[in-house]
Amino acid sequence: MTGWRDRFSRMTGRTRFVVCRLFIHLAGQEVAPLLGVVNRSARQAIDAEGDLKILGEGLVEICQSLLQYDEYWLSAANEGDVFWDEGEASDYFNALFTDSAERYLSEPDVDASASEFDQPLSLPVTRNVVVMITVAYEGEVPELETDLSNVSALKNGLKAIINLHYQENLQAIQVHFSPAQLGDELTNDQLLQHFPELLPL
Amino acid sequence: MSRKFTILLLALTLCWTTIACGGPSETNPQARNVSAPVATSTQLSNGQYPVQQVEYNDADGEYTVFLLNTPPGKPPVIRTQNLQMARLTEEEIKAGQKSYLKVENGQPALYLTEDFKIEYVHNVTETQVNPQTGQQENVVVRRETGFWSPFAGALAGQAIGSLLFRPQYYVPPVYQPGVSVIRGYGGYGSSYNQAVDRYRTRYNAPPAAVRNRQNFRTTGRIRTPSYTRQPTVRTAPRINTGSRPSGSGYGTNTLRPSNRANPSRVRRPSSGSFGSGGRSFGSGRSGSRSFGSGARRR
Repeated sequence: MTGWRDRFSRMTGRTRFVVCRLFIHLAGQEVAPLLGVVNRSARQAIDAEGDLKILGEGLVEICQSLLQYDEYWLSAANEGDVFWDEGEASDYFNALFTDSAERYLSEPDVDASASEFDQPLSLPVTRNVVVMITVAYEGEVPELETDLSNVSALKNGLKAIINLHYQENLQAIQVHFSPAQLGDELTNDQLLQHFPELLPL
Repeated sequence: MSRKFTILLLALTLCWTTIACGGPSETNPQARNVSAPVATSTQLSNGQYPVQQVEYNDADGEYTVFLLNTPPGKPPVIRTQNLQMARLTEEEIKAGQKSYLKVENGQPALYLTEDFKIEYVHNVTETQVNPQTGQQENVVVRRETGFWSPFAGALAGQAIGSLLFRPQYYVPPVYQPGVSVIRGYGGYGSSYNQAVDRYRTRYNAPPAAVRNRQNFRTTGRIRTPSYTRQPTVRTAPRINTGSRPSGSGYGTNTLRPSNRANPSRVRRPSSGSFGSGGRSFGSGRSGSRSFGSGARRR
């Protein structure tokens, strides 16, 4: 599917930027611990003030956990684009951040009051978790620039992301997840409404 | 028959070469209006040019090199982030050689004397909350200038010495306010990433140029301080306002932003997109995409 422009730009030796986004939806009673992994990575990222290297290490952990939870994968989707201009790639990456962020409610939690401490311990466990990973890199990774809506392709794609981190080729990373933490729920209806592109694996 | 074929072939070749010559210039104007009178490294033809002055800006890691004796029609200034540096050998200095810039295959390399001072522009940044968006962002509050002598001091003559004469990438050491000349370097390497890595192992933090390029965004509750010690006791599922699930996200972008006037309209190139929705993956809801009906493809 590489067009003329693609081939021509490669010939003239310009830098190729790829921005791609993966959606993975996991379902089952045991998927909630994954929220711990993504939240830990998020906290590390904030402590490091967004240092890309730390974010990359967190991303590797997330990808590895996702690979370990492969039996709970229920649906997935991916999208991406190739750019020959860094500014365009950057704009697209930021647009994807906004698009991912608008799918969930990210309002700060204000009702967590101390009065709850008296009440008995019980937590609803979510049956669905969606993780959205977006990366930008230079060069070409065929494992990611394809249709990832089947299990083996998705596995290869996640492995390719891990490799990209160790090759120090990641230019930008973002991770979104829903629900936010243990105790929140993502219902099937919300899934259909806010993640319409998910394809069953 | 073969004659017809030859004609066709020649015509095709002509078309191809015309396109090949015309192609890059059509994409250049964008790049040019960012830095109008300044040549990028590739625009300067191969050769050696005496250096008048070099400036390094740690906001984006950009070098500005002022040159002498550039060929007519070529600007005397180049601005690049991709610049290698090397020290002049003792013999060259004895022979009266001054600092110069050498361009080889479009790759510029500075050959500097030991005491050459690069003007160092340090940007003092602060993380401030933008009152309009509520997002945290890095803001340059002050600029300080000093000098950086990458090859000065005790380094010459050490075991590393022979490395100095080969062009390599250098990252300046951490900025010390009040010091007029910063000597030495924070990291070096045959690639920029390697230099940054050496800097990182030494100071346990990325260089200012790398840090300033990072654009960190977060959503959700992960920023709120109470989040780390979240109450684990909750009786009922939180009632979400509306139908949205809760969620959080974070991300860092080190790609240089485009200086387009209207960045909200992201134009996507027509070629090369991929995804699970077939060729034109457009089921996402951001309306600015140039294709995709938004319909669900199943």
